[in-house]
Amino acid sequence: MNIPKLVVKNLTRRKGRFVFTLLGITIGIASFVTLLSLGGGLKKEIRKQAAELGANLVVTPKGWCAYEQVSVLTGEQLPEGIPFSVVGKIAAIKGLTAVPYLTERTAYKNNPVSVIGILPEEMKRFKNWEMEQGKYFATQDEKALVIGSGIAGQFELKPGDELTVKGERFPIRGILKETGGKDDIAVYMPLSVTQKLYEVGSNVSFIAIKVDDIARIDAYILKIQEAANVAVVSDKQLLKSVLAIVGTVSMTLQLIAAVAILAAAFGIINTMMTAVSERKREIGILQAIGAPRGTIFSLFLLESGFYGLLGGIFGVVGGLLFSLFASPYISQNEFTTLIKGGDAAGALDLRIIFGSMLFSVAVSLVSGLYPAWKAARMTPVEAISYE
Amino acid sequence: MNDTIIRTENLHKTYTTGKVKTHALRGVDLEIPRGSFSCIVGPSGHGKSTLMHLVGGLDRPTAGRVFIGGEEITGLSGRRLAALRARRIGFVFQFFNLLPGLSAEENVATAMMFAGVPEKVQRDRSRELLALVGLSDKLRAKPSELSGGQQQRVAIVRALANDPDILLMDEPTGNLDSESESEVLAAVAKLHGEGKTVVIVTHNGEIARRAERVIRVKDGIIVEGY
Repeated sequence: MNIPKLVVKNLTRRKGRFVFTLLGITIGIASFVTLLSLGGGLKKEIRKQAAELGANLVVTPKGWCAYEQVSVLTGEQLPEGIPFSVVGKIAAIKGLTAVPYLTERTAYKNNPVSVIGILPEEMKRFKNWEMEQGKYFATQDEKALVIGSGIAGQFELKPGDELTVKGERFPIRGILKETGGKDDIAVYMPLSVTQKLYEVGSNVSFIAIKVDDIARIDAYILKIQEAANVAVVSDKQLLKSVLAIVGTVSMTLQLIAAVAILAAAFGIINTMMTAVSERKREIGILQAIGAPRGTIFSLFLLESGFYGLLGGIFGVVGGLLFSLFASPYISQNEFTTLIKGGDAAGALDLRIIFGSMLFSVAVSLVSGLYPAWKAARMTPVEAISYE
Repeated sequence: MNDTIIRTENLHKTYTTGKVKTHALRGVDLEIPRGSFSCIVGPSGHGKSTLMHLVGGLDRPTAGRVFIGGEEITGLSGRRLAALRARRIGFVFQFFNLLPGLSAEENVATAMMFAGVPEKVQRDRSRELLALVGLSDKLRAKPSELSGGQQQRVAIVRALANDPDILLMDEPTGNLDSESESEVLAAVAKLHGEGKTVVIVTHNGEIARRAERVIRVKDGIIVEGY
């Protein structure tokens, strides 16, 4: 006989209670892991998207709040626009390249699809786009579409097909080569055509800017603001505000998971308290045959810790499986349309795995402290005389 | 002095429940020779079990001193008292002596674990000891699968597992039919024959008759046999 064997024998004696208590902590840890890995994946994906924007600065209408900055990354429709004349003013500043975006939305086969109005030549240079099939726009105001590879795959479209945007039919000229980012899941249209179709006058949604000398970025921001009455954010700021929102959301979700773990911890305390009072007599026998108080204490503490260890292992495995399974569904949601496929679960982070297991064991050990102390402070006679 | 294994000096034990004080022992002086077979008898609630608990280091006296083999145990730390119980004293109680989740063999092995015996030795010795009391075929049986007499025999084996000097038994046959009782008494007689000091707390006149010494406790003092 040894202490761990004794611990396992005691734990598995009441199988039902063991399983239910274990389920509690397993579910708590699983939800924690799911939310951590989804949140981590989301942040990773946002960083990637921001990098793909290919811009150092983003010019937005004045007075935008963080939510609208998020729209730049998610490709949502924007409430206000910037007059096209501003694009010219900014483009006139030396040492930078400016490309306007007009982000709109249409539906195809009951699915929301981003429609982006662009200046074809400028955009192609800005993004280094290449064609997968078909041809790129021939002129700056051609009434045609170029679509991302993701859209082409999803709706099985090919060059020559037609797509209805806002009630008008447009031929598809070509399909872009996969970029691995948000560009794959949008439909592109020359800016002037889009403006006319959506009746927004000469407005654009935002302007992406690439600077030649990244070290002088603050000077560029000042120059742009001198030239036009607009807000300018750097990609770093933009990323920061988006990540702050995502961070707040995932923090809230993790708090909820923490409550689940807290509830599970009380489940463990309850189980262990019941065990202590049920096994009073046994505690007396153990003491009579020579177990010191320290050993009684560790017997009960280890029992409790064992819940944490098993719950941690099952919870981590369950949580990762669930996030793999759930992330494609979560990605369908409006806010997270920027996430393509199941990448959200791609964050198989060793820190999450071992951190959650450690957390689980720590929570269980702390839960076991009071019951173990109760067991150990019993005097042998008190325990033996209990019937 | 050398042949006295258990000695108490003016032993007092008072239990306090709320404002009520119960004097369980009121000045007990006792000497038990090494290798003897003694019985502590007396009416219920007069301090027999309390005396046994104090002698075995399960409880501490309110006043007075206890010596085991010449060493005073009254002031020992909890850890050293536990070590004393593990190595030098074996206990057998009336009811529910065994750990219900463990097999007969594991119950015996657990006692050895607390004395620091390696697992391999635990296994060999518990099998050997259980064979001595005729329980070779019950090694894996849980207490609930054993008869009362069998359970008490396992308890005795467990008490002996670390080869203690002293065996303290509290009504070991109180719960048994007459056949089981003779099984247990035969085991006790055999142990005494091997030189163990046996002290039994009992109401049973048959056991008292077999004992070398009878100590009668009444109202917390020894009235006969010290």
